[in-house]
Amino acid sequence: MRVRFWGTRGSLPVAPTAEVIQAKIAQALVAAGGRSFADAAEADAFARQSLDFATYGAYGGATSCVEIEGAEGTFLICDMGSGLREFGIDSFRRIAGGHPPAYHFFLSHLHWDHIMGFPFFGPAFNPAATIVIHSGHADAETALRRQQEEISFPVPFDWLRAKFEFVVHKPGETFDVGGVAVTLCAQHHSHDSYGYRFEKGGRAAIYSTDSEHKIDNMESEAAFEAFFKDADLVICDTMYSLGDTVSLKQDWGHSSNVVAVDLCHAAHARRLALFHHEPTYTDADIQRMHAETVRYEELVRADRPALEVICAYDGLEVAV
Amino acid sequence: MSGALMDLGWEVRRAGERLVGAPIGRVDETTWEVFSAHLTAVVREAAAAGAPLVIDLSALEYMSSRGLRALTIARREAGEATPITLAAPNERMREIFAISRYDKLFKIVDDVDADA
Repeated sequence: MRVRFWGTRGSLPVAPTAEVIQAKIAQALVAAGGRSFADAAEADAFARQSLDFATYGAYGGATSCVEIEGAEGTFLICDMGSGLREFGIDSFRRIAGGHPPAYHFFLSHLHWDHIMGFPFFGPAFNPAATIVIHSGHADAETALRRQQEEISFPVPFDWLRAKFEFVVHKPGETFDVGGVAVTLCAQHHSHDSYGYRFEKGGRAAIYSTDSEHKIDNMESEAAFEAFFKDADLVICDTMYSLGDTVSLKQDWGHSSNVVAVDLCHAAHARRLALFHHEPTYTDADIQRMHAETVRYEELVRADRPALEVICAYDGLEVAV
Repeated sequence: MSGALMDLGWEVRRAGERLVGAPIGRVDETTWEVFSAHLTAVVREAAAAGAPLVIDLSALEYMSSRGLRALTIARREAGEATPITLAAPNERMREIFAISRYDKLFKIVDDVDADA
């Protein structure tokens, strides 16, 4: 399988201002120290080697949308955040190359930031396309139709031309989509949320966002350890610090980087992807959070195998 | 009172008017329940005695998020009437408190007698 991140931000799409871009360019010029480069490729090689990701890159600002590549004859997509628009455009390119126009979506939940990309999903207008929407929520269709009512959007759901099917699943029941085994796990979040485990060829990837791990319900930790067990990649909601989740942001429905590390350690997972980044965080803030999480993993690893901690960004691709 | 259950030791002593609870070892997914039970017991003992509570971390190797969350539960149990101070963390624990931002939530002092 291959995991492609189209949107990694939580709650609200964000975009850098001119001031943010100018600061990055100024830092790059300072780092160059008067060097001259024969061409853009040479400058790019210098920048990649000399600058950190927060300076010569960006985590992006599209909301949750993650593609799981590896099914036969269909696209698999987790959530419909604003990153879905770019995925839809890219899928046209791949369909032109012979990929069937078949889409299976897996919704964590129905909050705005996780469905706001759907009205801009071009393939929904393709009469040859089939779109199956898997969810743990019985009201998924209501949520998608409601956001395209006239008061919110000019194009109603009924104008879409793809063939739609909504499928509601129970947690713990495994079903097959294009040769990939999929299982849901119930999570704690306002109006509920669901995590997904994708398995194929002995490899497993987990998508677990908008999931609060409550301190007064520690018994549920065992359920998540089982759900994450031996996973090759765990994409995990790490929006806040642990301190925030037990104080000011308690009951906001999100998790922390340190709880994600501990769950992955207990589950013997191999790689953790930090995800659902706080929209007020700058690139430097997210990079710092990533570095702190790597350090925390070292501090509590003990005699376990190392857990690789990566930080998701819009455009990242990971082989599983 | 003292005990060593599931690789976590625990001692309680008096230090003047304060009650001191001291975990020994590490708090992780295998020991957090024992740690939490000891914390709850010592919080109740401190509350009954009207004594401030100090958690002496000098013999603690580290605690993961489960231990940190047990601290939060203990403080909720203690309420405002029984202040809890964390004392003498090693360098590893100081880093964990900083990364988790628990250094913003708890009073952390260099040694057990710092605020005696």
